[in-house]
Amino acid sequence: MREQIINSIYTHMKDNSDVFFVTADMGINLVEKFQETYPERYANVGIAEQNMVGVCAGLANLGYRPFAYTISNFAIHRCFEQIRNDIGIHNYPITLLGTSTGYDNAPLGPTHHIIDEWGVAKSIPQIDIYCPSSVSYAARLVERILERNKPAYIRIPKGNHEQPVADDHIVHIEGQKQDILLVSYGNLVQECLEVRKKDPSVSVLVVNRLRPLDEQVLKNALVPYKKIFIVEDHFPESGLYGSLCEFVARYPIQGRLISLAPRDYTMDVGTSPKYFFEKYGLNASGIARSIEQVLKG
Amino acid sequence: MKVNPIAVRQSVLTMLYQGKASHLGSNMSAIEMLVAMYSSVDCKKIQENAKDRSRILVSKGHCAAATYATMAHFGILPMAALETYHKDGSVLAGHVSHEVKGVEHSTGALGHGINVAVGCALGMRSRGITDAKVLALVGDGEIQEGSIWEALMFAVHAKLNNFIVLVDNNRISSITNTEKVINMHPLAARFQGFGLNVHEVDGHSVRAIQSAIESIQTQDKPGVIICNTVKGKDVPFAEWQPIWHYKSLTDEQYREAHAHLESLKVNS
Repeated sequence: MREQIINSIYTHMKDNSDVFFVTADMGINLVEKFQETYPERYANVGIAEQNMVGVCAGLANLGYRPFAYTISNFAIHRCFEQIRNDIGIHNYPITLLGTSTGYDNAPLGPTHHIIDEWGVAKSIPQIDIYCPSSVSYAARLVERILERNKPAYIRIPKGNHEQPVADDHIVHIEGQKQDILLVSYGNLVQECLEVRKKDPSVSVLVVNRLRPLDEQVLKNALVPYKKIFIVEDHFPESGLYGSLCEFVARYPIQGRLISLAPRDYTMDVGTSPKYFFEKYGLNASGIARSIEQVLKG
Repeated sequence: MKVNPIAVRQSVLTMLYQGKASHLGSNMSAIEMLVAMYSSVDCKKIQENAKDRSRILVSKGHCAAATYATMAHFGILPMAALETYHKDGSVLAGHVSHEVKGVEHSTGALGHGINVAVGCALGMRSRGITDAKVLALVGDGEIQEGSIWEALMFAVHAKLNNFIVLVDNNRISSITNTEKVINMHPLAARFQGFGLNVHEVDGHSVRAIQSAIESIQTQDKPGVIICNTVKGKDVPFAEWQPIWHYKSLTDEQYREAHAHLESLKVNS
């Protein structure tokens, strides 16, 4: 999905002379074409993420639409005050591109487990937050961001998922019954779809845009279900579970919200995200187990 | 346009007194620097928000009163606006705010404005704006922030010769003398080591600062001007006193300082 987003930015640079690409020395074999084709609208600021955000604010002062690229944890955690003050307070249309999400960097340890970053970004009111779950959503995302003219953060999972073939902010894949709903985003959508493949009664709600939530669509989608599982590779309080708790406090529904998510950092080494999905019950079999337990009461 | 720093200082003193505001020391130290900065740019373009205007970024955002007062004396802001400083419902906050017409960027947390200034300089070059510059005012305490050095490294690497940093070297940071906190001596050598074109001047001489700005513009790399200043300048009981980062003026102190500034103005 990263390729769709980066290539889309590159394509827009041809006709939109305001688009500016900035990297904090990340993106080997990916970002070189920006420098080659548009050297005057490309900057590698080095491994200096705070400066990257400040530089983007300065570029926005000149009317540019900067896209700032690095690994998600560096983009968000490292630069929180810059994002708050230099992007948020100024409402500058800067897009932070964060690569790797959740346990994408599984064996690299807890500093690189990105399970708490978009919740940090969510605390700043101006920022739209996206986490594409499929290539079809990723392919249209940059165009939409350029139309909105607002600060944005894209949490870019590793992977190129074909399913779901849909580019809506919220995609409702209805099951045969209106009982169990799995709500998810990013890579874990694939695990939810796997659950549905084995049990077609289960429904899946894919949330590609985490903020703002499309409230009417969300309300219509949530209303019929009795058990709503929020499956995420992010701490639940600041994640989608937290957002939905806040939402149902305003628009009460009959269903019960159940969080499936990591609750703490771990020092475990896992050679792939699968290890952590298994550990926290986020893979298809873990989700199915949780459904079974809840149904047993 | 010629602006008398003593007149600006009088405006600042009144703003701080009437607004019951703090940061007297760092407002007073930066006044000649601000006067030199605004003297070096086309203020009409700033007032008109022209795309090709020079950009002034006040990274040490707590010298807001001095910034607003200087802007008013240069005709960018109405003088009457200064009366609202630090008061209910005003946009003239105690840290520099971009809600105020002519201000490029809101600052307050340190080590931010300079990075934005670098982005402006990069963007101006990219846009082909060659007859304007970016001036960033930073404090000598502020340069303890790591992001300052990130900005400088990149500005030098990118050869942003339209970018000039002015350091208010009043040698007092938040609670005590900078040399007791993080001793940056020899400061000029440190900037030189980063590859900047370094000037060191009397920070209370508008002419010296302006001449350094002009000189840097002819070079092929960004510059830094270390402006040696006195924290609390021209308010005798506040000069060199760290506590005047925090205190606000009593009636008696205001009268005493005002009278002193009047005498300086008469003699200037």
